[in-house]
Amino acid sequence: MTDIIKDAHGMSDTPEEREFELRAHIGSIWSGGRLFIGMYTFLIASLAFSYFYLRSSNNGLLWRPDHVTAPTAYGWAIWSLTMLAAGMAIFGRRRFRKGNSADWMVAGWVGLAAALLALFLQIWEWQKIPFYPGSSGYASTFIGYTIINLLTIAIVAYWLETTLARALRLRKELGGANAEYSMHPSAQSFRANVASMTYFLGFVAIASTLMFAMFYLL
Amino acid sequence: MTISAERPTEVDDKGVDPPEFIAQPKLRRHGLLGQHLGTAIVCGFLGYILGHWLGNYVASGYPYIANSGQNSIAVLLALMFMVLGWLIGIGALNYPFAKMLGREAKGEVEYQGWTRYFRYNLDHKVVGIQYVVGVLVFFFTGGLLAMAIRTELLNPTVHVFSADTYIKIVSEHGTIMMMMASSVVVGPLGNYFVPLMIGARRMAYPRIEAFSFWIFSAGYLVIFSALFFGGFPTGWTGYAPLQTQAGPGMISYLFGFAIISIGMMAAGFNLAVTIINYRAPGMTWSRVPIFVWSIIATAALLTLASPVLLAAGLFGILDKTVQTAFYVTEHGGSSYLWENLFWFFGHPEVYIMALPGFGIVGEILPVFARKPLFAYRIAAAGMIGVALLSFFVWQHHLFQSGINPDMRPLFMLTTELISIPTGFIFLVGMGTLYKAKIRYEVPMLFCMAVYFNFLIGGMSGVFLSDVPVNVTVHGGFFVLSHFHYTIMGGLIFAFFAGLYFWLPKMTGKKMNKKLGLWHFWTMFVFFNLTFFPMFVIGLLGQPRRVFTYAKNLQTLNDFSSISAFLLGASFLIFVANIMWSQFISPEKSPPNPWDSLGLEWQTATPIPIYNFERIPVIMTDPYHYSEPGAPALADFGEKVMAPNTSPPSSSTSTDQ
Repeated sequence: MTDIIKDAHGMSDTPEEREFELRAHIGSIWSGGRLFIGMYTFLIASLAFSYFYLRSSNNGLLWRPDHVTAPTAYGWAIWSLTMLAAGMAIFGRRRFRKGNSADWMVAGWVGLAAALLALFLQIWEWQKIPFYPGSSGYASTFIGYTIINLLTIAIVAYWLETTLARALRLRKELGGANAEYSMHPSAQSFRANVASMTYFLGFVAIASTLMFAMFYLL
Repeated sequence: MTISAERPTEVDDKGVDPPEFIAQPKLRRHGLLGQHLGTAIVCGFLGYILGHWLGNYVASGYPYIANSGQNSIAVLLALMFMVLGWLIGIGALNYPFAKMLGREAKGEVEYQGWTRYFRYNLDHKVVGIQYVVGVLVFFFTGGLLAMAIRTELLNPTVHVFSADTYIKIVSEHGTIMMMMASSVVVGPLGNYFVPLMIGARRMAYPRIEAFSFWIFSAGYLVIFSALFFGGFPTGWTGYAPLQTQAGPGMISYLFGFAIISIGMMAAGFNLAVTIINYRAPGMTWSRVPIFVWSIIATAALLTLASPVLLAAGLFGILDKTVQTAFYVTEHGGSSYLWENLFWFFGHPEVYIMALPGFGIVGEILPVFARKPLFAYRIAAAGMIGVALLSFFVWQHHLFQSGINPDMRPLFMLTTELISIPTGFIFLVGMGTLYKAKIRYEVPMLFCMAVYFNFLIGGMSGVFLSDVPVNVTVHGGFFVLSHFHYTIMGGLIFAFFAGLYFWLPKMTGKKMNKKLGLWHFWTMFVFFNLTFFPMFVIGLLGQPRRVFTYAKNLQTLNDFSSISAFLLGASFLIFVANIMWSQFISPEKSPPNPWDSLGLEWQTATPIPIYNFERIPVIMTDPYHYSEPGAPALADFGEKVMAPNTSPPSSSTSTDQ
């Protein structure tokens, strides 16, 4: 036998039901994060398909005339900052799992700053593009890439920022207890969110590297 | 799983509030204050004006805009800000902004009363009803445009519209209908019934679910706005280079599809995650209702295929606004790139439309045949097979227009292969009906019609997968008839089957049977009289999207047009039935009018906001019809049935 817990509004749950709901909630964060990666994969795969389709078609020999070169310095900077954001998230989570919440927070804020800087540079790069958007197939796909990369970095920054903001509030909610070790449902939810975010950022790092190689190095 | 059949008896009245994401929803009444459809319209309108002004301010000085007299950037920004205003007005962005301050949801606040249908509501049942109304608005708008098309085709030489107007009407009709069809089952019935069928009290991501509806409705406004920008001449497929040459109405098409694709992703994402994680204890994959299998297969397609449409739309928008050349062959792009991206989404889209229809039919047949669903596992495997294969057939849409001829046999083969799992699903239905004592109620009649229509649509599809036939009838009325038989004859008939079947559960009121029968027979007869002649018309050479035709085809066209008008009238009978049964002379429905074993019928009517008072423990699958001694479906714990409802009356008892 177990208790039925009534909440302040008169509705009831058993502890087992709450545990079920909590597991389902955490499972949703886990599978939602992976499914989101699947969606993102198909989005950037569309861009990669366009890139190679137009490259192999080379219609009117206008895939990439000699003068069409993307601003490589910006490319390096944006890629490096994206990698830094992802790296900080991965490093921070490792520290977090060892109970070092403060390290995770510092790494997270550094990662967020890197993401915001990358976002700014990605926008600023539009001012520095030395070719007309429709001047070639490469030029077109490059513009498409900058838009998708901008959205990607914005999502990364948003996810990092909301997780960090949540961590600050959570500390108060848990009365100073370590979110890594607490069994409070909010702490469990938070850990699942951090894991999913880190997983996504790791994938973004791989995807960004491939895209960077396609558009700046090839 | 830690929930057992042993049920609690003690009550702790301490008034403890659990964390929001595991708490039951809080109930509130909110009257007309706060954010609702009215504020969404106002904010959307203001956003439109602001965006248009901004677009003109930013871009009117560019030479290519000044020279063309068409400021596509202003149109795009107007539409973008309109959608943004719409979402802000309805309250969709409150939570994302609150999260930036580290706040979690303040519980799932569920507004009560009729105003909840005009709000950003997080109850999946309210969202389901909102979707019903939304898709019907889409459907009737597209239907009116279809009437206009058939009016024009009454005579090959005397015209109601100009050629230009005609193609724009055709384009708007096709686009609205395809957008509607992508959500016609998943939105209303998927959102409403999936949690009930899997024994869940909530959706995994209720805000994303609500977002999917409100962005879907914004998509309708965007695509409808094309008419005010002069329309677009490309048909629903939006082919380049016509796309590139078209006026600002094309922006509405591209942006509308991009918006709808976001809605589709959101809907599919939430449903997939819910089905994976929120199945009640004991609801193993082999006990999941076949409708839920169809929804998860569809959700996989929605989440993975829609991003491709989003990318295709984005590239088209960039071509129209910042002058990239993705689809402009002369500048290093390729019009075939659009065709590839569009159809990589577009063919899975066909199964996004078809699979939920199969799911509905698979769910309803056993109820009226009083037999278990035949070969349940094959049906589920067939749906997954269709979903997987649907990603490998898109090139058959390019047989005529630019594919490497050496690749044709491969895609002919994959297209023919997909008929195998589709055939499985069809045969599962036939096996269920075999030697059954069928009750011919209205939902069952619609299901039978699905099989009749889909047989014609499917078989003509097998012909079309063959390259020689495909290149012969490409772009003609034969193809048009084929896809109307599969989509309207399959999906829309299944949608109405589902509506007639589940509306008594959704509203607690019976649908009028006599009007339902009138609706069914007129719709079935005039659907076939409208579209079957088009096979002949197509084989005799009439092309699609052309407003004039050979004089000798007038009789067949007139026959088709008059049938189409009567088909349109048949939907008025449905509207009359809804008005009569739900509002003018409502009659309370029994709690389980069809004697279904489905889990959704075992909860109280009206359904409590949290669906099940206790999370049920599932004992078996819901298809043990006419099986004496079959196990009970589930243990519902205490007080699951409301006092005014009776336990389900069926061949098996659910009482423990």
